Amino acid sequence: MRALCWEGVRKLAVRDVPEPSIRAARDIIVKVRASSVCGSDLHLINGFLPAMREGDILGHEFMGEVVETGPDVQRLKVGDRVVVGSVVACGGCWYCRTEQYSLCDNSNPQPVFTEKLWGHAPAGILGYSHAAGGYAGSHAEYIRVPFGDVGAFTVPDGVPDDSVVFASDAMPTGWMAADFCGLKGGEVVAVWGAGGVGQMAARAAQILGAERVVVIDRLPERLRTAADRLGVETINYAETDVLEALREMTAGRGPDACIEAVGMESHDVGPVYAYDKAKQTARLTTDRPTSVRQAIMACRKGGTVSIVGVYGGLVDKFPLGAAMNKALVLRMGQMHAQRYIPMLLDRIAIGEIDPGYLATHPMSLEDGARGYEIFEKKEDGCLRTVLHPQPA
Amino acid sequence: MTSNTTRWALAGAATVTVLGAGRVMARRRRRHQPERKDGWYVVHRGITVDRPVDAVIGFWTDRERLDRGLAEWATLEQLDDTRWRCVAGDPAGGGTEWRAEITVDGPGRLSWRVTDGPVAQQGRVELVPAPQDRGTEIRAELRWRSGPVRRALGLTTGTDPDLGLRDALRRIKSLIEAGQMIETRHDPSGRSPEQEEATDKMREKLATGGRP
Ligand SMILES: NC(=O)c1ccc[n+]([C@@H]2O[C@H](COP(=O)([O-])OP(=O)(O)OC[C@H]3O[C@@H](n4cnc5c(N)ncnc54)[C@H](O)[C@@H]3O)[C@@H](O)[C@H]2O)c1
Ligand SMILES: [Zn+2]
Ligand SMILES: [Zn+2]
Repeated sequence: MRALCWEGVRKLAVRDVPEPSIRAARDIIVKVRASSVCGSDLHLINGFLPAMREGDILGHEFMGEVVETGPDVQRLKVGDRVVVGSVVACGGCWYCRTEQYSLCDNSNPQPVFTEKLWGHAPAGILGYSHAAGGYAGSHAEYIRVPFGDVGAFTVPDGVPDDSVVFASDAMPTGWMAADFCGLKGGEVVAVWGAGGVGQMAARAAQILGAERVVVIDRLPERLRTAADRLGVETINYAETDVLEALREMTAGRGPDACIEAVGMESHDVGPVYAYDKAKQTARLTTDRPTSVRQAIMACRKGGTVSIVGVYGGLVDKFPLGAAMNKALVLRMGQMHAQRYIPMLLDRIAIGEIDPGYLATHPMSLEDGARGYEIFEKKEDGCLRTVLHPQPA
Repeated sequence: MTSNTTRWALAGAATVTVLGAGRVMARRRRRHQPERKDGWYVVHRGITVDRPVDAVIGFWTDRERLDRGLAEWATLEQLDDTRWRCVAGDPAGGGTEWRAEITVDGPGRLSWRVTDGPVAQQGRVELVPAPQDRGTEIRAELRWRSGPVRRALGLTTGTDPDLGLRDALRRIKSLIEAGQMIETRHDPSGRSPEQEEATDKMREKLATGGRP
């Protein structure tokens, strides 16, 4: 079959690879119909998240059709149209039982790397390097999904592939970000990053009761899309002093909750950014935390900073003093896909959330490398490139 | 009570068997020497399984299922009321055989002694209820020593039963909680056979040992 493979830092190519097969009784094989790019892939492609090997198949946000099931699969059958969460979870450990699926104890067969780096190994993630288990990804005609009954969900008829695909990753991540904020109604929520994740976080914050949502980015098209689609307020950090603007918008208080949906390649203007970038390039530090710093500085006293942008290692100049003395609540993590997906599918079905507009660039799998380039450079108003592995 | 003892004996025997058949012979140098006591290397490892003690014991109660599950690795033979023998091959090849005698010391407690194998080894396993509704703690102590020849050749640290123990505990936890061990070795990739071989070596490193 054809698959989009990582060939080295910033190098992708479509190759012929063997088809996957059922390896365990709870596996399913999914024929991939739509497979999206995600900001996390950029960290992998650019070599900021380690343990990629030449030939690894990328992709972890996808939907398709079940074409084979292992003997112990009960909930799903061949022919089901499903969306699959990026995170692999066994369904039977304490973390899964308490719905903290991205912390599953049994889904990373190669746990030593992250145990050394982080003290413990979180769950495996499809198409996400050998640190996350070494699973083949979804930018391919077929993918093996372990624990199919836990990770794959049948999708409502009538919702297009290129819309429901975002229930795999961008939507649950955004929802979790807002969920972390513990909203009771009437709050002001600021969101850093107007990518797929940030946009879905902004929508979730609205649904969960925020009175005002402010989205921060430097890309005018993305900010405009967020304002048009979601009715949020926006700040362009390249033009405006973000901290000043947020203080003013809240009459001095600062936002009640700050969501960070940017991640380790966070960009900024000014000298500290040049310092961060130089250090990161020289591998003296692994992550650039510009937007996290800003979120902590902006947040009101006693507020919540919710981080869903991905970080992999060490950060520099982390304003711990601000977080401590303002008594902030910090929440963060890889999303617990399986916990949110069924609820999100219901919300898509009734039209409460319509993520379809994120799919700005549908393409064939063969154009995958170009698709990532457009996504990385945010050319042509790209929010997400969605690859279609099946021949038209 | 008898039936509970038998069940535990089966569970324990299976534990030890998995341990024997696992990567007891994993060849990796370790940075820290384990503690030594009376000429034995001693390590303690524990893992928490999200099931009550009875369920952990009960997992392997079905002798038929057990034999089927272990078929690839080992055979299990009952010697008398409290003693079992397990014979396992080293999956890494080399035709190494591994025989152990397993003794049930009480409910949730057993010990074993390798009577015939590449490394002199003995150990104990104990099941303890975990606090806060967290299931069961499987606590294991493993002692081993290498023979004079191996020591003379400086090979004492080249084999690492500790990694084997950690693998085994992880494997048991996964089998009980998830019904299987996950593996990604056969997932497709765009690698050449040579690249795949190199990647397999890396996988082996990242998969061997680990918590606890
Ligand atoms: N926690 C999870 O489970 C999870 C899941 C999916 C994605 N993610 C992470 O979420 C992050 C966003 O993903 P995405 O797909 O939306 O990525 P994306 O690349 O499409 O969007 C990131 C956006 O952040 C903006 N940005 C850069 N620096 C900024 C700054 N200093 N302040 C404000 N905005 C800034 C960029 O202009 C861009 O629009 C990534 O780090 C990704 O890895 C996490
Ligand atoms: Zn993602
Ligand atoms: Zn689990």
